[in-house]
Amino acid sequence: MTEEENKIKKEEGIKELVLARINFMPSNYKLSIGSEGTFTKDELIQQVSAGSEIGNQVITMQMNFIRALTSGKLLKTINQNG
Amino acid sequence: MVTRPKYDDGTEYLSYYASLILKEANKLNIIYKDFPGKQANSREICKYLKKKNPKLIFINGHGNVDSLEGDKGEIIFSVDKNIGLLKNKLVYARACHAAINFGKKMVYGNEGCFIGYFTPFSFWMDSRHSAIPSKDNLAKLFLEPSNEIVSFLMKGNNPKISDKKSKKMMIDNIKKILVMEEKKEPGATRWLEVLWNNFEGQKVIGNEYLSF
Repeated sequence: MTEEENKIKKEEGIKELVLARINFMPSNYKLSIGSEGTFTKDELIQQVSAGSEIGNQVITMQMNFIRALTSGKLLKTINQNG
Repeated sequence: MVTRPKYDDGTEYLSYYASLILKEANKLNIIYKDFPGKQANSREICKYLKKKNPKLIFINGHGNVDSLEGDKGEIIFSVDKNIGLLKNKLVYARACHAAINFGKKMVYGNEGCFIGYFTPFSFWMDSRHSAIPSKDNLAKLFLEPSNEIVSFLMKGNNPKISDKKSKKMMIDNIKKILVMEEKKEPGATRWLEVLWNNFEGQKVIGNEYLSF
């Protein structure tokens, strides 16, 4: 597998993870992302699936949180500010 | 001075939460100028800024890397427009991304301070209450900590302390959500992601010891 193919496969994997996590949401919640607007669960799934700018922002938010959680940064921050 | 346009779901919530700050200002006997809804336009805001020279400015609405908007997306301040009117001032912009470039330019070469976001300022709302922001307890988890900044600034605290108090409330809310998550509250992890996004993105730029 080439480096490019690896990158595509990794991105697809991340997208699938993010979609699975959004799917778990109840449908009465909406996310307001500044001037981009307000998005229902179904709209978020569409945006992430399409790889739009909004979809990428949602992916970035989720991945940043997962990194903070797994690296211990979140726990450290809670302890410092708690 | 407060700007709070109200023309979509997002600005509806920001406007409501800004109104809570105005109520607090009344209690503290602080004289303020409010630019709600359509009054949040460049002409009226700039006229007031030139005439009255307010020290503390609370901007609510949409924004981007280079600018801050008023009613229906009109650019009120940008790196090329009206930025000089904010020289030496204390500004909190509850808007997306403006800390990245606008905030840095605003405080460059002067004693002003900009508090804003490097990330998109985001929040979850419960669509069962979206017509009445005051009844939406989910949105409160994200918007109350941002109100804390202005609440502390109004009481004479400097931006560094006000930012810290706001972040302390974010952490308290993260802890509350973690408890909900343990009780299998559906969606709680998504809330954490967004609160963490606001926590990490919120920055004080410039003179962090300036006070009102």
